[in-house]
Amino acid sequence: MADTVDIEKKEAQTTDGTEHTREVKVYHPAVDIVEKEKEILLTADMPGVDDKSIDITLDKNVLTIYGKVDPNVPQQYQASYVEYGIGDYRRSFTLSEEIDRQRIEATVKNGVLKLVLPKAEAAKAKKIEVRAA
Amino acid sequence: MKFKDLIPWGTARGSVAVKHGDNDPFTALQRQINDVFNGFFRGFDMEPFWGGGIGFNPSVNVLETDKEITVTAELPGMDEHDLDVTLTKDMLSLKGQKKAEKEDKGTNYYHMERSYGSFVRSIPLPCEVDDAKVEAEFKKGILTIKLPKSPEAVKDTKKVQIKAG
Repeated sequence: MADTVDIEKKEAQTTDGTEHTREVKVYHPAVDIVEKEKEILLTADMPGVDDKSIDITLDKNVLTIYGKVDPNVPQQYQASYVEYGIGDYRRSFTLSEEIDRQRIEATVKNGVLKLVLPKAEAAKAKKIEVRAA
Repeated sequence: MKFKDLIPWGTARGSVAVKHGDNDPFTALQRQINDVFNGFFRGFDMEPFWGGGIGFNPSVNVLETDKEITVTAELPGMDEHDLDVTLTKDMLSLKGQKKAEKEDKGTNYYHMERSYGSFVRSIPLPCEVDDAKVEAEFKKGILTIKLPKSPEAVKDTKKVQIKAG
């Protein structure tokens, strides 16, 4: 079972010694990661993000997703209930060698990011026939 | 502090318990328990017998301006056809189901943080609204409902003059 159980919207950590340049909160999106035979699927809940406001970067082994959210709140409002904070999303993942970096695909629909990370040819499991001697 | 303030159920207006989002320990605990149960059933490649229906509980914000009330809910992965919004005199109800995408057999889960299932949220409205002018929009996984206050409710707000002594 996955050891991560924190599925509340929680703030993303900044790297030590760095500061945000914009006055917004940054949250950790909830993510599902599923391994299939030929690919790894990563699904992230990022409500408020569309294909234009998302930024995916791959630097060496680290894949970072960053989604910008337009706060879009009325002027001079008074909050009656506030259950979620509005802010951007950021999360980084370390990729193993088995991912084919050239063929990573990403789609965003209804605030959900789907990333398909295909496995490189060499990493696909091969079944080795055992012959009777 | 008054004794009444210490009683958790004596809070706020309306009849619905208010969920405090990020830092409410009870919500966090409930979600963790749900996660354990969901994970347990997924581990055996079975659906939970309640259909996974206790997992998803969308977060709602209610903002009020002089003229209208804006209700927003985070519903990533749903579309407008899965949603049902009803309005009674002083209560707005959101109903819907977030379906889990069916995966093929033989897949391994590494991370399971997103939640699925059906939900009902009832949101007590702070004042009367003009039900003919209510607008709802679903965009980028966020549902926004704009409820203009009824003319009576706007009129009823009286400014009280404070005299200098």
